[in-house]
Parts: sequence; structure tokens; C-alpha cells
Amino acid sequence: MVSSAARRTSSRLVRRILRRNEFYLFLFFVGFCALVQGFSSTFLTLENLFDVTRTSAGFAILAMGVLVVLLSGGIDVSFFAIAVSAQYGAVKLLIALGVSSLPMAFAVSCGIGLALGAVNGLLISAFRLPTLITTLGTQTVFHGLLLTVLGSRAINSSDLPRCFLDFSKANVLTLSKPDGTPFGLSAFVPIAAGTYVLTWLLLRFTKLGRGTLAIGGNVESARRLGFNVPLIQVCVYSYVGFLAGIMGVINVALIRYVTPTTLVGSELDVIAAVVLGGARITGGKGTILGTVLGVAIFEVLQTSLVLLGLSSFWQRAFVGLIIIAGMSITAYQTKVRNARNLIFRLE
Amino acid sequence: MTSTVASSTLLEARAIYKAYKGVQALSDVSLTINRGEIHSLVGENGSGKSTLIKIIAGVIGPDRGEIVFDGRRRSEGLNALGAIRSGIQVIYQDLSLLPNLTVAENIALSQVVEKGRRFINWGSMHRVAEAELRNIHAVVDLDALVEDLPVSSRQLVAIARALTQGAKLIIMDEPTTALTKPEVDALVAVINELRSRGISTLFVSHKLDEVLRISERVTVVRDGKPVGVFPATDLTTSQLEAYMTGKTVARKRFETATDQRGVPLFELRSLSREGHFSDVSFKVWRGEILGITGLLGSGRTELALSIFGMNPADSGEMLLDGQPVTIRSTEDAVQNRIGYLPEDRVLQGLFQSKSIGENVVVTILNELRGATGLISSRKTRTTISRWVEQLKIKTSSSSLPVTSLSGGNQQKVVIGKWLAIRPQLFILDNPTVGIDVASKAYIHEIVRDLARAEMGVILISDEISEVLGNCNRVLVMKEGRIVREVRSSDATEEELYGFVSGKAN
Repeated sequence: MVSSAARRTSSRLVRRILRRNEFYLFLFFVGFCALVQGFSSTFLTLENLFDVTRTSAGFAILAMGVLVVLLSGGIDVSFFAIAVSAQYGAVKLLIALGVSSLPMAFAVSCGIGLALGAVNGLLISAFRLPTLITTLGTQTVFHGLLLTVLGSRAINSSDLPRCFLDFSKANVLTLSKPDGTPFGLSAFVPIAAGTYVLTWLLLRFTKLGRGTLAIGGNVESARRLGFNVPLIQVCVYSYVGFLAGIMGVINVALIRYVTPTTLVGSELDVIAAVVLGGARITGGKGTILGTVLGVAIFEVLQTSLVLLGLSSFWQRAFVGLIIIAGMSITAYQTKVRNARNLIFRLE
Repeated sequence: MTSTVASSTLLEARAIYKAYKGVQALSDVSLTINRGEIHSLVGENGSGKSTLIKIIAGVIGPDRGEIVFDGRRRSEGLNALGAIRSGIQVIYQDLSLLPNLTVAENIALSQVVEKGRRFINWGSMHRVAEAELRNIHAVVDLDALVEDLPVSSRQLVAIARALTQGAKLIIMDEPTTALTKPEVDALVAVINELRSRGISTLFVSHKLDEVLRISERVTVVRDGKPVGVFPATDLTTSQLEAYMTGKTVARKRFETATDQRGVPLFELRSLSREGHFSDVSFKVWRGEILGITGLLGSGRTELALSIFGMNPADSGEMLLDGQPVTIRSTEDAVQNRIGYLPEDRVLQGLFQSKSIGENVVVTILNELRGATGLISSRKTRTTISRWVEQLKIKTSSSSLPVTSLSGGNQQKVVIGKWLAIRPQLFILDNPTVGIDVASKAYIHEIVRDLARAEMGVILISDEISEVLGNCNRVLVMKEGRIVREVRSSDATEEELYGFVSGKAN
């Protein structure tokens, strides 16, 4: 009796897992890694893993922001403009003051990010604007203001405050290869991981987090339930700005160079990775685990296309395909569900 | 004035007046609901029902009159949240649920919001949800997403949510529209359960037979004025209709002398579609109204959609005037001059953002072209005004948005849109759901006119009296098959009801 009950529970668990999107993403990820390993035996090494996680930490942080916005039923395409403004502002200020302090760099960068994100949130909630159009507009405004107010001059690594260069080399774990050369896990990685844990806690255990999902599911019902929709929206877009601020500092340390003309324009990459991770582009659905897998698959594809002998230009086409496929799958599922309920929309 | 604690009256709305922009929506309307009572509020569209509900729910304030709830007189400036805190819950037709969240969250979240908590305790949310569902004897998976649930379960979730907020009065606005018969029974059981706990229900519905079956007393309003309060046991549906409309709607059965020999206008030969319906055969003659009735899920709507090409059949034949036709899309159907009035006029029948006139002519844009090949505005205008007049659509201008019309008048627009293609076969799927009595009678008259104009009409309806009163023959569908054909002149409502619910055979 006991064993049959246990078997029933475990088979229920298996069915639950089989229903999850993440399970299939994981299978795909493992399969793809195995394929790449077949082409290049250096792929699945700890050193490469550390390297890939270091270069993709900033991207992964922004993916959290995109996930939160998608969950709230909106979209944000201004986060790179915010990140660039924040990082350039922080670097300029530190140089002007002649200080080299990483905490200060983060504080300034996140502060700028938070403020610009709040502008998005206020515009969207006060005037009930469509989020895509609003953030498309603010993207250009933020970037334009940055170039006119702070200038467009690139800052080389020789001019960067010392703290960025130290941060660039900082490892939280150092190992050595058989030949003695050291390699390590970058300090970027625990920061990225921290934003994931923070986002998870906020989404799962706060009223604000549940409210974010609620407005993404049905904004009118959420309002009737008593959620403060404008406040939630301001918080959501401010949070994206805050994460963009963190990403900005990490990005400076990663490439040891700042120019206000980079990054802006590749927002779709991050959105594609999150959609690949199963987030519904029309809002209300998506998981942190899915986003982790989406980002992982996206990064592996990006780094391995060359290994597989394909032009890196494929990457561009690939990003668009993910977005379109993501939308199509959602639309198709809705259509199937509607057809089952005999709802036909003539459009 | 002091009230006794044990007072049996829960809600007393006294002499309520409310005007909007000079239009008197309510004048001197009163409503009294006792503790644990199931009370119904009926009236035609525009009779002031929704205004009264909004005033009770604190969404709007009355111009005059007072509301005493639970022994306390309501102060002015009370808002919706205050009404909720005092124990009034409204379950709107759309249920206001969050589709992407779980059942447990949907039930317990409003409590979290209302108590101003910042953090979520999942364990206690689960316990709250579980307890409330158990209280109403409902079995719903707490971890299921609401979007994956059938409408009936969603309704239980909405009721359970209302209960978590200490509801003393639950107002249900048209709760049974999308429910099957057994689901309605289950809902009634829940409402009765609430009554035994002393919770009152105010039931707002257009389905008068349900109103009489469920409630103890019925308050009737007409044109914003009180008609009276009646014990449900003393009423019949036709009396109730008379109170609502202020006139007795003459119920005359429709009889057409159709010549049922020779070649029928339309014929189905063992039409089947896997999982929807199977082996359906029938004939429709010109000038005849054929009724199809059955419960929700019996395959009647699926069948209608197949004839109209939206849900193509797997096998079987369709014949028009004895000639086999293939209808696999709506274009095919329109080309064969088959019109279809869908069950859900809001979703399928109307272009919500367009004007009344544009909606009327949308099916015949080709005919509106002038000499240049472009759409002629003169032709369009005359066509529109002809239809608006012919259908007696009540509006000050045909250029107003179609959403400005009442339900009954919207339905007339949908019908007019299809009449514009001059159909030879017209299928109407539950054309009077949620429509008030006067418009209903008018729509029945249109349907009869169609038949008189030698059109073949198929009228699908849940409402037994509707098919019996308007059709020559009635087919009863059950589990995807036609189980019975009756001549309406030979059958009574009770008999037909027995066939539909499967109690008689």
C-alpha cells in the first residue's frame, strides 16, 4: 500500500516535471553542449565555463530586468541606454572627483539607473502609455541626452579609475591549470547570482512581486483587488533601471573601456534570451529558472556558432527567429485553446 | 435610530434616487434583503439594475435615499473598499480573476492586499484557500492555474475569494450565462450552502426560470422605478415578464404552412466531426424555422459552426437545393448565402470599435462600390439608413459606436449585417441570451419575418420556450447526436425539457 502510494506521488512528480517548459529547455541545453563538445574538446572545461559566466554576467543581470517587465505585462527596450548613461556618468564622476571607489561607482550607476527607470515608470503609469512605444522613445531621449550632456568621448583603460581595473581581475575562487597558470571565477558571477536570488525573493514573497504578476495577468482585475497599479509599474521600471546600473559597472570592468556609443541597439538579444526561457511576451508568465536556461542557451549558441564553423552573422537572424517563434508559439497555443472552447476570432 | 443586533434585515436600501446627466436612472427604488436570503433583482436592460448594484457596492453614491447595511447606516462618501470591508462583495460577470496565478493565490491574495501586508506567507495562503473551498464543498486543485480551469470552477474560486473577505452579502451579476445545466445546479447548491451560513445572495439574471427556482423573493424594477417585491413561489415566468415590461407579451406559437415535399432547401446527411458530433442528418425547407436545442456541450454550437464553415466536418454531406456543396470556410458559407448569428455577439459578431452603420454594411462592401470602383459614400449612407429603419435600431445616429447600443439593439445590428447578404439559410445561435424581454420579442419577430420571406432558418437555443414558441420542428441534441425530433405543436415544455435533460426517453 505504502509503496503504491509512493509510486503515485512520484509519478505525479514526473508528470509535473514533464509538463514544465524548463525540463525541455534543459534537455536542449545539455544536448547542444554535447554537440559543441563533439566539435571542440575545449568547450566543456571548467576554465571555459568560468570564462563564459564572466562575459555573460552583465547580460544575465539585464535578463532579470526583462523578465520582471514581461511578467508585468509590459516591455522595456531602454535598458541599454540606461546602462550606458549610468556607467558613463559614474566613470565621469569618479574621474572628476579623482576617487577610485567601487562602492561609489555602483552607488552612482545604480542611482542614475533607478532615476531613469522611474522616468519610464512614471510616464507609463501616469499617462497609461503603451510600454514599447514609451521605452522606445525614452531610449532615444536618454541616449541623446547622454551624448549631448556628458559627451561622446571614449575613455580608455589607462584613464579609468583603478577600482574598475581591480574589479575586472577580481576572482572569488582561483584554481590553477595543470601547467600552473591560474584561472578563476570572476566576482561578476556572484553579483549576477545575487540579482537572481533578490528577484526571486521579491517576486515570490512580496506583495509587490505578486502584484507584478497580477497586473501582467489582468490589469483590471488586479486594480479591483486593490493593487496600486501605478506604484507597481513605477517599481517595475525602476528595478530594471537599477539592474541596468549594476550591469553598467560590470560592463566597464569587463571591457576596460567606456564609450557611450556601444550597447544601445542590442536590446532584442536580451529579450530573445528571456523569451527563449519561456517567458510569455504578452505578459504574466515566466520563471527565473527558465530565464537562467534561456540565457545559458543563448550564450552557448553565441559562443559556439564560430566553433561550429558558422558565421557569427547567423546570430542576428537567430535572435529575430527566437522572438518570432516565441510569439508564434504563444499565439498558436491560444488559438488551440480557443478552438477547443469553440471561440473563433475573425481578424 | 438604533437597530437591534438580531435584526433579520441585512440590507435596506431606502428610496434611492440617482440621475446621470439629467436622465433619472433610479427614482424611489428600495431593496431589502434579509440575512441568509437569496434575493433576485430583475429588470430589463436600462431599468436601473446595474446602477442600483453599483450604489450598494459603494462604487457610486446615490443622490438621495439611504442605505442601512448590517445595522449600520452608511455614511456619505463611502467608497468601494469601505463597502467590501463592511461585507458586500460583487462577483462581476467577468469574475475579475487573475488567470496566470494559482487557485490558492486567487482566493487568498485579496486578503493580503486588504490587510496591507507586504510579504506573502504561502503556507497561510494555502490554508485560507483550502478552508474556504471546503466550506462551500468545492473540489478545485489549489495549485492549478485559473486560466486552465473551466468557467464553472472559476466561479467557485471567485465565490471562495469573496468569502475570505468576510462577505455577508454576495451580489452575483449574471452568473449562469456560461454554465451548463449541471454546473448551474452545482452553483445553486453552493448558494444554498451560503444561506445556511447566514450569508445572503443577490442574484441578477435574465434567466427568469432560474430566478424563480433559486430565489425566495424577487424585486422588479422598470425604467428606474420600483414595480414591487414578490415571493418567488407566487410567480410564473410570464407574470414576471409582464412586471418587467409593463405589458403582457403575447405568446403566440409560430406556425408556417410549409410545403415539406419536393427538394428541401438544405439537407445534412450523416455529418460528423470527431469529438464534436456524429451522424447528424436533417432537412430544412424554405419558410421553415427548425429548432435545435440541447445542453451546453451537446454539440449544437459545434454543428452550427460546421455548417458555417468555421469548424469543418470530417465526413458527411451538405446539400443546398439538392446539390452537394462543400463548405470549409466562412467564405464558402457566405458565397452559398448562409448567414450565421454567433452565440457570443460581443466576440464574434461585432466590430466593437466601429460605428453602428459600419457594422451593418461590413458584409456587403462590394455592393457599395460606385462607378469608380471605390466605396460610394452616398450608397453607403442610404443602405445604412434603410437597415437601421428596417430593424428598428434605437439610436440617435448610426455613426455612434456600436458599443453605445443596448444588448438587444446590438443583436439587431448583427442580424442586419447578415440580412444584408440576403441569405437563403440563416442560423441563429442563442440569439436572445442576456437580452431583455421586449428586445427578445422583437428579435423573435425578425426571425419569423425571415421565415415568412421564404428563408430557411435554424434557431439554436437553450431556452425550451424559445424553440417551442418559434419553430415548426425541434431537434434535441445530446452528446453530439440528434436524439429526438418533435413537432412543436405536439409537445409541451415539460416533455421537451425531459428529453433535453435526459430524464425521459
